[in-house]
Amino acid sequence: MERHKVEVSQEKCLMCGGCVSVCPKDAIEMGEGHAFVIKERCIGCGICIKVCPVGAIHEVVP
Amino acid sequence: MRYDVVVVGSGPAGSVTARFAAESGAKVLVIERRREIGVPVLCGEGISRKIDSWGMLDGDKWIARKMDGARIYAPNGTMVKLSAEQAGNETGYVIYRDVFDKELARKAMVAGAEYMMNTKAVGLIKDDNGGIKGVKALHFDEEIEIKADIVVGADGVESRVGKWAGINTTLRPKDLESCAQYTLANVDCQDAYVDFFLGKEKAPGGYIWVFPKDNDTANVGIGVLANLSKPGMAKELLDKFIASDDRLKNGQPLRFLAGAVPVARPIETVRDNIMLVGDAARQVDPITGGGLTHSLEVGKIAGEVIGKAVEEQNFCREFLMEYERRWKKAIGKKMERNYMVKEIMLSFDDKTLNMLADSLKDYKFDEFSTKGLIKALVTKHPTLLARLVPLLRA
Repeated sequence: MERHKVEVSQEKCLMCGGCVSVCPKDAIEMGEGHAFVIKERCIGCGICIKVCPVGAIHEVVP
Repeated sequence: MRYDVVVVGSGPAGSVTARFAAESGAKVLVIERRREIGVPVLCGEGISRKIDSWGMLDGDKWIARKMDGARIYAPNGTMVKLSAEQAGNETGYVIYRDVFDKELARKAMVAGAEYMMNTKAVGLIKDDNGGIKGVKALHFDEEIEIKADIVVGADGVESRVGKWAGINTTLRPKDLESCAQYTLANVDCQDAYVDFFLGKEKAPGGYIWVFPKDNDTANVGIGVLANLSKPGMAKELLDKFIASDDRLKNGQPLRFLAGAVPVARPIETVRDNIMLVGDAARQVDPITGGGLTHSLEVGKIAGEVIGKAVEEQNFCREFLMEYERRWKKAIGKKMERNYMVKEIMLSFDDKTLNMLADSLKDYKFDEFSTKGLIKALVTKHPTLLARLVPLLRA
């Protein structure tokens, strides 16, 4: 079964960079006003979800 | 565009590097992806007064309040006080970090460094052999190439520059503090003390801070060790604390921000044509999460080494390694020591923290620092903390 990928809520993200710094696949980058996930690189490990201080990252069902 | 050095990021580490590089005769460009230096303020805004003697900042516009000391509260409320009288009057300031960053940038500009805002580094310029020749960036929506002999990664906790150069800067969650922070108005902070609150319920693997900027305004924040965190935990625990604290519960937010602070061991910071400084180089005290004084120290060293490199036109790793040797001598040993203390502290439950605080509540500290605190703990608990003794040499 394919692992769920993650998504950053544009409304909630405050651009602290925590998710970017822990992502083992460099699959998150800072965009304009919020971080975003590069889906092709994401392996769905979920580390970023746990790390987010404001709960802005969640799983998406493929 | 052609420079000797391009610095990616205009925080304290970037600007101090730029200043000292420019003063040594290098042609320096600093690029910043944001539209204003020093904003947003991702910081608790506390700094040690040891910077007084460094002469890096003019005037006092950047100082919000001079502190009389620090108070550390154990989970059961037992308080350990480190006051100025005990510590040779060397405590700290609560600062306006936005003004502070602008002041450091201004000093770099006066020294001859150029700055470009709204300019996001998107990659490195490499030659056919993989040699680094500068930075590719987006200036507003325009793609530009900035050629330079040295690229300085001062691009913060989310640093890309190191990775583009092949340095693994990925943090383990156990080496990252996940933070949330308010500046609150209408609070009641009469005492000029910075307060730290510990406890697994309050802030697992971290602490809550209350840093008063004046009598009715304070920077109030939390760090939670990311491997002990849950989604959104930092904000939830901080809100809970504020609602339950008599001084803070009527506070209203002037700003709310999230942050991330590396609390890691020293890493590799130099390759051919590349240097990393500040949070990008993980140069943060693993116990306190403080990085400002470190950034000033390492920035000066980096700038001086860049000056020499430009003079000799030698940009290889071996030459630039002088920077890494010098910064590791200045703060690397302390970081290693405090990283180990962090690991030991994490093994303590709340009951142990209460006991330690109780034994220190009347202690006369002779040094206002984590080292002073560790010394006191070892003095009081030689057996419990035997593992800490060798660390005090660093």
